[in-house]
Amino acid sequence: MTDSDLITDGRAAGADVPVLRLRGLQKRFGQLHALKGIDLEIRRGEVVGLIGENGAGKSTLLKILTGIQPADEGTFEVNGERARFRGPRDAVAAGIGVVHQEQSLLLHLSVAENIQMHAADAGDGVRLGLYRWGRINRRAQKVLDQVGSKLDPRWRVSDLTFVERQMVEIARAVAAGTDANATPLLVLDEPTSLLEPAELAALEKEIRQIARLGSVIFVSHRLDEILRVCDRVVVMRNGEVVADRSTDAVGEDELFELMIGRAAKAPEREVRAATGEPVLEVSGLTRRGAFHDVSFAARPGRVVALVGTSGSGREAVCRAAFGAEGYDSGELKVAGRRVESWTIPKAIAAGLGYVPSERRVEGMVGGMSAIDNLSLTRSGALIAPGKQKQQASEWFERLDVRPRGPKLELERFSGGNQQKVVLAKWLKDQGLKALLLDHPLRGLDPGAGDTVKREIRTACAAGIAVVLLPDTLEEALEMADEILVLRDGGITAVYDVAVDAPTTLDLLEKQL
Amino acid sequence: MTTTQDGAVATGGDRAPAPKDPKAPAGPLRSRISPASLWRTVGPIAVFVLLLVVVSVLNPSFLGGGGVTILATQAAAILFVALGQSAVLHVGSIDLSNASIGLLAAMVLALTLGPLGPIAIVLAIAVATAVGALNGVVFAVTQIPSFALTLGTLGVLQAAALVLSNATTVYVTGNTDLLAWMFGSAIAGVPAAFVLGIVLAVVFWAVLRFTRVGHGLTAVGLNESAAIFAGRRNRLLKTLAFALSGFFAGFAGLVIIAQAGAASSFGVGSDLLLPAIAAAILGGTAITGGVTNPITVVFGALTTALLPIGIATLGINAQAQSLAYGFVIILIVALTATRSRTAIIK
Repeated sequence: MTDSDLITDGRAAGADVPVLRLRGLQKRFGQLHALKGIDLEIRRGEVVGLIGENGAGKSTLLKILTGIQPADEGTFEVNGERARFRGPRDAVAAGIGVVHQEQSLLLHLSVAENIQMHAADAGDGVRLGLYRWGRINRRAQKVLDQVGSKLDPRWRVSDLTFVERQMVEIARAVAAGTDANATPLLVLDEPTSLLEPAELAALEKEIRQIARLGSVIFVSHRLDEILRVCDRVVVMRNGEVVADRSTDAVGEDELFELMIGRAAKAPEREVRAATGEPVLEVSGLTRRGAFHDVSFAARPGRVVALVGTSGSGREAVCRAAFGAEGYDSGELKVAGRRVESWTIPKAIAAGLGYVPSERRVEGMVGGMSAIDNLSLTRSGALIAPGKQKQQASEWFERLDVRPRGPKLELERFSGGNQQKVVLAKWLKDQGLKALLLDHPLRGLDPGAGDTVKREIRTACAAGIAVVLLPDTLEEALEMADEILVLRDGGITAVYDVAVDAPTTLDLLEKQL
Repeated sequence: MTTTQDGAVATGGDRAPAPKDPKAPAGPLRSRISPASLWRTVGPIAVFVLLLVVVSVLNPSFLGGGGVTILATQAAAILFVALGQSAVLHVGSIDLSNASIGLLAAMVLALTLGPLGPIAIVLAIAVATAVGALNGVVFAVTQIPSFALTLGTLGVLQAAALVLSNATTVYVTGNTDLLAWMFGSAIAGVPAAFVLGIVLAVVFWAVLRFTRVGHGLTAVGLNESAAIFAGRRNRLLKTLAFALSGFFAGFAGLVIIAQAGAASSFGVGSDLLLPAIAAAILGGTAITGGVTNPITVVFGALTTALLPIGIATLGINAQAQSLAYGFVIILIVALTATRSRTAIIK
């Protein structure tokens, strides 16, 4: 068996040296302390699960491991040697391969080409600058055998299924690791969140197979899967490692609590009753491959939160309600009337507003001044600069936008202040009836986050209906009157917070 | 202020002032004009004045000998095509066909001015606007890159002009007095045709500055996704930009006929594409979109027309003027492009 060489190599280098050792790793983004000193060891042949809520610091940690960002402080060693990655290439050279949730294969190339794309050197696959296809394919075949895949290296990636492509991704990461002549460390970043159950089983088997070659860090939201696949599980919360347990000695419930940081309970809050005719009503909304049979109603003065992991389809539902994306069947009613061929201009004319999660791409025109951004959604043919300016000053004051320079280009403001302007763009409109908020607090510092939350509440009190896609379950419990849980495009639970407030645990269970 | 806003201000007052980044002052900020945006306004004017001074020093008779009139006459057709190009550049696209649209308009005018009189003028501009709008519709519907689409249109229009003219020069058969005012009258030595260009530039500027449509064009040019999510009809706006390009090119057609009294695929007005793009860019228009000041484009057109005169005073063969335009485009774009964000070059 070809992989035996590798294992021998690894042993020769000293089996008791951890593949990866992190000491006091720290990272800050402005005011946000993303990693507050991470200590972590990954031993050879180990599959380690990494879990944590959104914002716990997992992604930052992975970015540092894979050379995308440098750490601010702390050391990290790969195979006992101090490593300092200046870019992803260095990580690959050190034997760290990564598989992202979004695939990064080149569809029009063959499996073999994709597998060797990240190889540090092409070896004997290239001579005098020319490809030697026989050797390239044989090398790829070797890697595919190692990871236990039956794929033919000559196939084009575009002809493969999603899970087969995922296997190519894994093979590529393993190839990068083995080429570096080290024990490969494979980082799998939520590779399973888009997979069907049958595919999941195949992938889990594959991961066990890879553990014989090297080590694996496995990031997933599915706790049952973590417990099945991993030897050990590391829990992160608020930029720290809060637990490091053997999977034999821990259960799902305990992991939930470790992730959330306290026994699950619903925070106390004022809840408004469901009165008033719905401003926006969604019934049986379905788009193949994205969401199915989704129904809810947004009523004046109420917040409906849609929660779910990535791949739950809640973003697509939200965008369909705003007319940004289509749907195949079902019904949208605005102010009690069924609407057809729904588009964004129609939605805005009907009093809907949408704060997208991709603020810089979809939410704002960075090169325009804050004033002009505020008036982007305005109706009417002419623009009165004086009135505009006065309105902008009022909103800058009300939302404490800093600096107080509405004439400055919006891209020159910090993220939090940009978001305040994006929100004000909708709030200033007297005709606003419903707000769709896609991760409105994402990436905001606590101060700006508070302001945005306060404005959402103020808008509610003024009778605006809110549909919220929160970053965290705590945010949902704090803000929402009604919580819908989505999984794989369908609603799995509906909670009226006034009647039966769910706990974080309830919500987690319904979305996984 | 409305009651909701009053309520919110009260809520805001309850909060203790949040400790914030000391570098971010809360007080009113004097609008800092960034050097880049200042240069975009002053630069085109400064470049023109500088070049004018150089030419006047090297050739002292230039200003005295009716140089301004000559310059504005040369710049008139360039200005109209450049204004059209600016409209398209403003939404982040490019129109390689608009100079040919101008020539087509001239051809239509040459064929119909005799028989139809004033109606021919309206017809020429209508045809030009329609061809531009058609470009826009095809662009908006098919999403073909504007570069490729208008390169195709360019070929089609050149062939159309050849067919219409039977590959010869088409002379106007009558009613030439209808266009005589363009270069027959002048204000302070500036021919009426160029004054008309200035008026249209000011109107275009006002549209960009004070109308919702103008803001929409700017938003589409700077960030089309965000414009879409703010409810702007991006395809309609882009179609409008192309229609404007044709509309302005139509005026260039009038200028060609007023100047030459004839139209042909190889005579006056057949080489406006490169100078017009140079004029738009010298006028501070960003090729990446969203940054256009039609008023500075006027100076861009003047600079562009002055370049060959300057080259001639330097004793360089005037036939090398395209060389100068080419260099100027590359130089200005290289100087003004923000390279930090453009990792991917198209």
